[in-house]
Amino acid sequence: MIAAAVTKDVALLLRDRGALISLFLLPIVFIVVFGSMFRFGGDSGKPRPIAVWYAAGGPGEKIVKTLDATPGFRAEVLASADDVRAGVAKETYPAGLIVPARGLVELSIDLGAPVQVRGPVEGALTGVVMRALAPVDLSAMPPLVEAVTPPGIASPMKNISSFQVTVPGNAVLFGFFIALTVAMAFTGERRTGTWRRLLAAPVPRSHALLATLIPYYLVGITQLAFLFGIGAAAFGMQVAGSLAALVVLSLAVSLCAVSLGFLMAAIGGSEKQLGGIGSVVLLVMGMLGGCMFPRAFMPQFMKSIGLGVPHGWALDGYYAVLVREGTTVADVAPSIAALLAFAALFAGLGLALFRFER
Amino acid sequence: MTAAALSLRGLGKDYGARTAVGAIDLDVVRGECLGLLGPNGAGKTTTISMASGVVTPTRGTVAIGGVELARDPRGAKQKLGLVPQELAIYEELSALQNLAYFGALYGLAGKTLADRIAWALGVVGLRDRAGEQVKRYSGGMKRRINLAAGLLHEPELLILDEPTVGVDPQSRNHIFETVRDLNARGMTVIYTTHYMEEVEALCDRVAIVDAGAIVATGTVAELIAAHAGKGVELELAGEPAAIDRAAAAAAAHGTVARDGGTLRVVPAGGLAPVIAAVEEAGAAIARIQSRQASLESAFLALTGKTLRDAP
Repeated sequence: MIAAAVTKDVALLLRDRGALISLFLLPIVFIVVFGSMFRFGGDSGKPRPIAVWYAAGGPGEKIVKTLDATPGFRAEVLASADDVRAGVAKETYPAGLIVPARGLVELSIDLGAPVQVRGPVEGALTGVVMRALAPVDLSAMPPLVEAVTPPGIASPMKNISSFQVTVPGNAVLFGFFIALTVAMAFTGERRTGTWRRLLAAPVPRSHALLATLIPYYLVGITQLAFLFGIGAAAFGMQVAGSLAALVVLSLAVSLCAVSLGFLMAAIGGSEKQLGGIGSVVLLVMGMLGGCMFPRAFMPQFMKSIGLGVPHGWALDGYYAVLVREGTTVADVAPSIAALLAFAALFAGLGLALFRFER
Repeated sequence: MTAAALSLRGLGKDYGARTAVGAIDLDVVRGECLGLLGPNGAGKTTTISMASGVVTPTRGTVAIGGVELARDPRGAKQKLGLVPQELAIYEELSALQNLAYFGALYGLAGKTLADRIAWALGVVGLRDRAGEQVKRYSGGMKRRINLAAGLLHEPELLILDEPTVGVDPQSRNHIFETVRDLNARGMTVIYTTHYMEEVEALCDRVAIVDAGAIVATGTVAELIAAHAGKGVELELAGEPAAIDRAAAAAAAHGTVARDGGTLRVVPAGGLAPVIAAVEEAGAAIARIQSRQASLESAFLALTGKTLRDAP
């Protein structure tokens, strides 16, 4: 009976162009758009250009040399200080250096930009100038600081691509949209009367529920497999940790999403209400969980709120598996446990609120 | 003694403070075609929903073919086929895909399922369109596939809930013929409708449902003989207020149904007191027409309303 339900629901899904687009095509579009917006690290290819003008006879040449030797940056010397300022104002350059013959070096940068964006560039360029103008040769000094990953966190892979972040972000965002499909399926079955037919059949009511939920669980898993598959094949996304961890996480994500859909169905409402309110709820959950903007860049308060939705836990798990080498199922156990707890909570509330006869 | 095809004992349903169905007692004899006749909102659908296990009763019991629904729901439901009032099918799928799914709900699989699908499609005359998406069917064809989905497991008892709503005359006739044929083969049928002529054409016995209760059961002839006194139709003229008063006055001397300025009256004791009451109320009688005793007049006498104007 469950097999017949799966066959039926897959056939229905294949004929539902809207659902196919929102579950499979739209995430790809979002991955491409967000992946291009957040280009950083290995896939950015070239170092970032910094506009520089310097007066003859000053330390400008030394600063340019030091800048070119700094990883992630290259100097682009312009004809005048005003050209540097104009280039920064037009956002052709993230920042510029105006070096007079003597006196204060001007760092041209948009001070209105968020400190998370401005800070790293400002700090790096200040360091460049300090190294260039230091009265002693700093490169001859032994290193004063060494960056080390603390124990308990697997080492991140080198050359992290922006798609390592945007693929899981959108996979989770759209993976949870299956909840809306589940809720709509229940509403549609009630509206058309097929739910009555199911209740009149010699099938236990628990099986009637499972016959509606299991097909979408399988569709959810297929959707995640498709998105991660496309991420790897088309966007060069790599899995630094174990594939098993990725699979177990995805099984937990789909279970959680389908349970949420069951809860939405139990709360009820028309297909129109579900489409409107349900979409907004899922989008907000996705935003809080860091699907569109990584939680790592959020203030501490928002980071904590992100763990109040399953999306945040799912993404923590996925980032670990995709970015940190040697991540195992045990390493992402907290994420899996949290997702299962959310699934149990949604299913429990759903069972309490669901009305077979409405 | 053979158990009844369907036995309802004290069956009722409350929705909060509202009682949708009081306490119905009904036995449906094996092989008969029983018409459940009543206006919209009378409680027909709630009754058959309880009888088919779709709605849990507040009180009472249901037994299908001697198997109590509450004790053995699977065993009882296996004997029952329900054809809901709605088009309870997936319009995006083909008839074949629909029937394959609904057959699987009854444990049918493999060759048995294929044979049952072919048979059901043949019964409703849709074998040559079986591969098409249902959404491309006419309204009548959709009704027929809705019927086929309830037949797949060859139920002992078939419940049809308003199966001809919104269908063209050709499909309506086809559904009539199908129901007659199935009944002739021994399948017990419960046919709910608010169309008097459907009950007269199809059913051996009728149960009249009103306000959540069965108010009478019997053959059409029995109901007419017992409840349908000869009626009259009075066409009134005058001020609306006078017609209102006349209708109220006439109701004191018989059962009255009103349709604008026309009163259909089954007098309790002769026509003269009715006419006198109407005239005393200030309304003029423009036309009097006698009406033959019929199932409609029996229904009017039992419920005080006509099927057509009931809510």
